[in-house]
Amino acid sequence: MAVQTFLKPALPLLTLLPGLCLIPVVAILVRDGHGGGLPLLIQFAQGALQPSFDPNLLKNLWQGLQITLVIAILSWGISSGLGVILGFLGSRTLWRTVLGSAWPALLFRRLLSPFRAIHELIWGLLLLQIYGLNGWVAIAAIVIPYSALMARVIADQIDCHESPALPVLQATGGPAIAVLMTAVIPAVSSAIKNHIGHRLDCALRSALILGVFGLGGLGTDLMLSLQSLQFHDMWSGLWLLAIAMVVLDQILGSLQRKQRIGVVISVVLMLALVGSATLNLDLSWPSGTLGSVLDVLGDDHNAAAALFELNWVAVIGSTLLITLMASCIATAVPPLLLLLWPSPGSLRLQSLIWGALRLLPTPLSALLLLVMAKPSLPLAALALGLHHSGVMGRVLIKDIRETGFGSAQTLERGGATVRMSWLYGPLAEVSRSYLAYASYRCDVILRDTVVVGIVGSAGLGWQLIDALSSFHWWLVAWLVVAFIGLTLLGETITERWQQRLNCKAVVL
Amino acid sequence: MTALLELHQVSLDQRLQSTSLTIRADERVVLLGASGAGKTTLIQLCNGSLKPSKGSIQWRGQPFASLTRHQRRSIGTLWQDLRLVEELSVVQNINSGALGRHGLLWALRNLLGVLDKDACLTVMDQVHLEPSLLNRAVTQLSGGQRQRVALARLLRQRPELGLADEPLSALDPVIARDVLDTLLSFPGCLISLHRPDLIHRFERVLGLRNGALVLDAAPETISNSQLEWLYRRS
Amino acid sequence: MLVRERRAVLVACLLTGITIAATVTSCGSGPTGTESPVLHIGAIPDQNPEKLNRLYSSLSDELSDQLTVPVQYVPVSNYPAAVSAFRTGSLDLVWFGGLTGVQARLQTPGAKVLAQRDIDAKFTSVFIANGASGLRPISNGDQLTNLKGRRLSFGSESSTSGRLMPQYFMSQNGVETADLAGGAPGFSGSHDATIAVVQSGAYEVGALNEQVWRSNVKDGRVDPNKVSVIWRTPTYVDYHWVARPDLDERFGNGFTKKVQSALLKISPTTPRGETILELFGAAQFIPAQNSDYDKIEAVGRQLGKIR
Repeated sequence: MAVQTFLKPALPLLTLLPGLCLIPVVAILVRDGHGGGLPLLIQFAQGALQPSFDPNLLKNLWQGLQITLVIAILSWGISSGLGVILGFLGSRTLWRTVLGSAWPALLFRRLLSPFRAIHELIWGLLLLQIYGLNGWVAIAAIVIPYSALMARVIADQIDCHESPALPVLQATGGPAIAVLMTAVIPAVSSAIKNHIGHRLDCALRSALILGVFGLGGLGTDLMLSLQSLQFHDMWSGLWLLAIAMVVLDQILGSLQRKQRIGVVISVVLMLALVGSATLNLDLSWPSGTLGSVLDVLGDDHNAAAALFELNWVAVIGSTLLITLMASCIATAVPPLLLLLWPSPGSLRLQSLIWGALRLLPTPLSALLLLVMAKPSLPLAALALGLHHSGVMGRVLIKDIRETGFGSAQTLERGGATVRMSWLYGPLAEVSRSYLAYASYRCDVILRDTVVVGIVGSAGLGWQLIDALSSFHWWLVAWLVVAFIGLTLLGETITERWQQRLNCKAVVL
Repeated sequence: MTALLELHQVSLDQRLQSTSLTIRADERVVLLGASGAGKTTLIQLCNGSLKPSKGSIQWRGQPFASLTRHQRRSIGTLWQDLRLVEELSVVQNINSGALGRHGLLWALRNLLGVLDKDACLTVMDQVHLEPSLLNRAVTQLSGGQRQRVALARLLRQRPELGLADEPLSALDPVIARDVLDTLLSFPGCLISLHRPDLIHRFERVLGLRNGALVLDAAPETISNSQLEWLYRRS
Repeated sequence: MLVRERRAVLVACLLTGITIAATVTSCGSGPTGTESPVLHIGAIPDQNPEKLNRLYSSLSDELSDQLTVPVQYVPVSNYPAAVSAFRTGSLDLVWFGGLTGVQARLQTPGAKVLAQRDIDAKFTSVFIANGASGLRPISNGDQLTNLKGRRLSFGSESSTSGRLMPQYFMSQNGVETADLAGGAPGFSGSHDATIAVVQSGAYEVGALNEQVWRSNVKDGRVDPNKVSVIWRTPTYVDYHWVARPDLDERFGNGFTKKVQSALLKISPTTPRGETILELFGAAQFIPAQNSDYDKIEAVGRQLGKIR
């Protein structure tokens, strides 16, 4: 019994425990460290202070930003709608109320996971094969994985927020849909709204990543500046992006608090966006034929030969290792920083840090880390983990702001140290929802291993990029299958984990 | 008198042992027993939210499983934890009791604004809720007011058999009297109580002890020692 | 409070709807107009965006003037995306690298190589090494065996000069990628990044386009104490212009020929021509044909980059 309690750390501690993974990672980095990249880092920092103000460049960046915003907002809007619908279809509560049995929910969930398993970038490249360069390709590339991910989150939300009123309303004999509408929708609507708001930030970053495959947009410019190491030019784009992120965040916030102002601002912004639509973005309805793709696929190469080209054990192993380390880092760093710096006043500064980490695209942070240390898996994981800790940090700070600091104050008055009272107070209160969200992040991190090929070309993600660049479709197919398999496995594990969390009070 | 609810040799795990029971229309029944004696289990078996491991339950001669949702509407429950939809207003909660008599569109309109105001005000008056609370969110109400909202919702449902699980605990005497009066106004009712002093208001008293039905009699015939034995430990 | 929330949801839905409708109508009509076909040009980007924009706006103007059709530059910054966009017809005329050009032509039967720069006929890559690695310049390819067990970085995975040809020459001399430290090379993503990762010491050796190396040396962006060339590869053909097979059909007979001569006609005697050629880093464009790239195709097949 005593052993069992020892082995079951409390939830707030669980948010910190993954931080143990930082010890070997940091140790390896220190071992591999070399100061060789210091001049480059200094250049990078100088670029931040002295971004380029070349009018041609700024005009280009501004147009790029507009394209990125159009793609982000459209894909966000569409994926939110689809995500909610699919989320309801994937919820056990819905099927149990309508049919009396929950199996279709499981079917829907499993059917959706392949769509989640594949990175936006890969979806973009695959759709590009059929439809060519077209704005809708970029939008669909974001919409497909986002809808599937949102469907999972929302389905879990619905099942977690099962209203106690449900059996009462069922007993009144109302139609199942009416009962669900009255008992379930009001209960989950605020959670759904929160999550949808959160996804806009993510959609913006994905639209940026997609910019690298030629739909213009800010991402293209950033990628090119990165490739040619023009940090002054790059920072002009990064600052512009930062401003856009903050403005969008403010609009969303005011839309939730003071509706009038929010509505006015967003209408003005939309009009400005749409009005200046002499954008280099083709949004005509795409047409394409599957035949051309089947031509490519249907050559005489053997599927089995492709299967034996890779050392799957090593590749999958390193992918899992990167994912695991990056997830641990992303999960543990925000609460660690919070405890290092526990005061309501520092939260603003902390959210600045998380904003900066989200702002820097993963290939950039990987390059910056790489010029300071030799390539290794932990390095790739750190680059990926830091980027995602930006996302987790945002979630944590938002949760804590919403919960308030009352519990910390109470504990402090009781004589506890500041750190302990934050551990037992605010962190404990939000840990359940935070950990639940972390389990969704693992999914995203697995997909994102695609973008850290720069470091030692390890993992499935890199193999996928390389196979795509060789147009080796059979290997692409096998790699996609591997990604789907890993995602399904992850889903089965995190579902158990979430049931153990009793999935209560999941906010995001 | 027609039989409303019939239980034949119903058992559920360790919680309830082979119990047979018939509740007729126009019969008001009180259920007594110490905590853990199986009262809540019995109530939940009667409204269908628990399924017996052995035995059968019939409503008006028809097995529970085959009831349509319209037939199930005839059994209404006042839950101990009330089970309101916390995100909705008073009027929306009360109206949700009438979902079974209306279609999908009505349910949608209920979520969008105030619907069937007169019918709601009538039931609110019956349970002594001020009309000014109509649009208030239920989270802003006091415990007693919330109890009345749950009761008003039950009235909107208009069940033939009202079930209630310890509806009077933690209520002040005035509210408790109102709640009991309302519950007793249903054609038939089965109420579990911790209040032996109120048994004279019912026509029939059931006593549970360690998951077994040990008492089934008219209130006049029950002695104090019988009641004491019901609540004695071990 | 509840009514307000509902209004917010409603407003959000409305806004999304409006944006979708408005963007579709405003952006959708533009590029689809078929009455005057637009020549879409694209490029494998290996320049910084500021340079790229100057380069391709000048080039678009030049081609538009000479061919009297509207010309639009479509930025693509991903190699396979450019190949696919060319195949699906989103791009008509593309500045490809050696490997990507062959991939594009294999996927687009009938596509034609039009021109290359004077320097592309005799293109070279260089292997550079960090001073601390102890690697000394080598005179002969067979000494590439020194690279075994070293950390080596290529540029982009589809780059001819930053990956394909260096890997080919290594393999010619008995060095496979599996012989490198870690069992695989790194991919820095670009020629400039290769210099950065080698100069910093993260990788010991790197392989890149000699043209980029020279311009970096010229601009003083390389620290000669930290990184130096250890070997220059034999020459091969690289970058070139490829046109889609249906240009004549869409723009009129002989249009492909006209495009080719327009490219060849760009000369440093006009200010715009001078800008273009300077940005391309060439003295002039010279004619090229599909068969010039047979060697690249063979190498691509040998290394599995062409299937």
